[in-house]
Amino acid sequence: MSTAISVIKVRDILLVTMPPDPDDSTIAALQERVLAAMERHGSAALILDIAEVDTLDSFFARTVAETAQMVTLMGGRTIIVGMQPAVAITATQMGLTLGEIETALNVDRALDVAAMPAPQKHRKVRR
Amino acid sequence: MSPVPPAGELPIKAEHDIVTARRTVREASTQAGFAATDVTRIVTAASELARNIFKYAGEGVMRWRHVRTDNRSGIELQFEDCGPGIADVDLAMEDGYSTGGGLGQGLPGARRLVDEMEVQSKVGVGTTVTVRKWRRN
Amino acid sequence: MLRLLVDSVRDYAIIMLDTEGRVLSWNNAAEQLKGWKAGEIIGQSIAKFYPAEEVARGKVENELRVAAKEGRFEDEGWRVRKDGSRFWANVVLTALRHPDGSLRGYGKVTRDISQRKANEEKIKQQAQEIFEMAVVPVVQVWEGILLVPLIGVLDSMRTQQLMERLLHRVTETSSPVALLDITGVPTIDTQTAQHLIETISAVRLLGAEVILTGVRPAIAQSLVHLGVDLSSVASRASLAAGLRTALGLLNQTIAAAKDQAHA
Repeated sequence: MSTAISVIKVRDILLVTMPPDPDDSTIAALQERVLAAMERHGSAALILDIAEVDTLDSFFARTVAETAQMVTLMGGRTIIVGMQPAVAITATQMGLTLGEIETALNVDRALDVAAMPAPQKHRKVRR
Repeated sequence: MSPVPPAGELPIKAEHDIVTARRTVREASTQAGFAATDVTRIVTAASELARNIFKYAGEGVMRWRHVRTDNRSGIELQFEDCGPGIADVDLAMEDGYSTGGGLGQGLPGARRLVDEMEVQSKVGVGTTVTVRKWRRN
Repeated sequence: MLRLLVDSVRDYAIIMLDTEGRVLSWNNAAEQLKGWKAGEIIGQSIAKFYPAEEVARGKVENELRVAAKEGRFEDEGWRVRKDGSRFWANVVLTALRHPDGSLRGYGKVTRDISQRKANEEKIKQQAQEIFEMAVVPVVQVWEGILLVPLIGVLDSMRTQQLMERLLHRVTETSSPVALLDITGVPTIDTQTAQHLIETISAVRLLGAEVILTGVRPAIAQSLVHLGVDLSSVASRASLAAGLRTALGLLNQTIAAAKDQAHA
């Protein structure tokens, strides 16, 4: 159910909130909806809130990494917010990569991060 | 969701069954007494293996049961399908292996999250993956 | 009068068994605790009250045998109710004899101590948490800055504890910076370095940053010789320097936030 994903435009930021325990279709829909919104608004940053997600497996991770890559190509940054400790520990142990993403503790801080210049590594990729 | 018994079986034949598998394993692992982070590890491994069944075999079954020895207890999950099978299990267990989205993807990752993993597979016949995680009594 | 006592007692299931372990008598408390009515259970074996896997292991025969030999048998363990549910019980089995000394049967007193066991488990868990806190202390030294003074060797188990404690504290306190002080870590080998890197990666996924402090010359040397890539990690020789860097990082975000607000 892709309607379970909430996509909100706030100034030049896209705020996307994932529902808890999304099925594969919903995860796939994340990518489509982000791209559609990026095309429509040309946002400078995507803030992806995964505070409610309690399982992050390789499929979800791959989808997020691909989406972040696409966002970069469209001139934006991706900031992931609210990852749960157990999820972070598991993802690290599995060796999952989320690609070119930045992270923030919560949406508030993500907005602060988006206001600052992108980290060096990130800029190099864009050139 | 109806209460999860300490042992049981779940068919994996639709995409939503992967979610059901996660929820079932979450409940069963919590009942087995695992702490939150270990529950997440087991559920994540189950998600990988259940998805493998659905994506590459189309259909299969997940079984779970509590296990116990004298000084430790834990959970055992089994993922069985009659799919194409894995030609080279050792290769499939190597990091980064993938036959273009192929079989065994997710196996190395899942392996890191559990204590024991056994893979039995025959090309053209099917695959059975058994995993176990233990906690001290 | 004795019968009145047995029938009135609420906390103890008091039942009589024959020499084979079959139920001869039943009191109200037994019905309350185990679920069977007297009529349903008299004549049945007490094996019905035990989990199947224990009956299979011969637990029932063993208990009766010990009671017959020693005079009594006391045990704590799982028992099963009529509806299949389990409870943790304290059980005393007493051998009853004829005047000539031959075995007449058994008396069995069962008490439900599930609550006590639950309390014990809770205390054990709390003790474990306190122990873990002592083993891996995480201190908030400033608003938004956590400090982990690591002391001793960093093996797999301690790394797990470290990651759990630190990540939970980061989330609880919304601290964007964690100082990982390794002054007290005697040696760095490849394993330890890998553990540190794992911990730092996990903290970053949450949205916080780690500054490695207390990197002594000997440790710096080891890290370089091991070929460990810590290039993406800020590290400082002293805790003070680390704190300064941490404050700098925090100020950056505050400044940016102010810019946002004025935009």
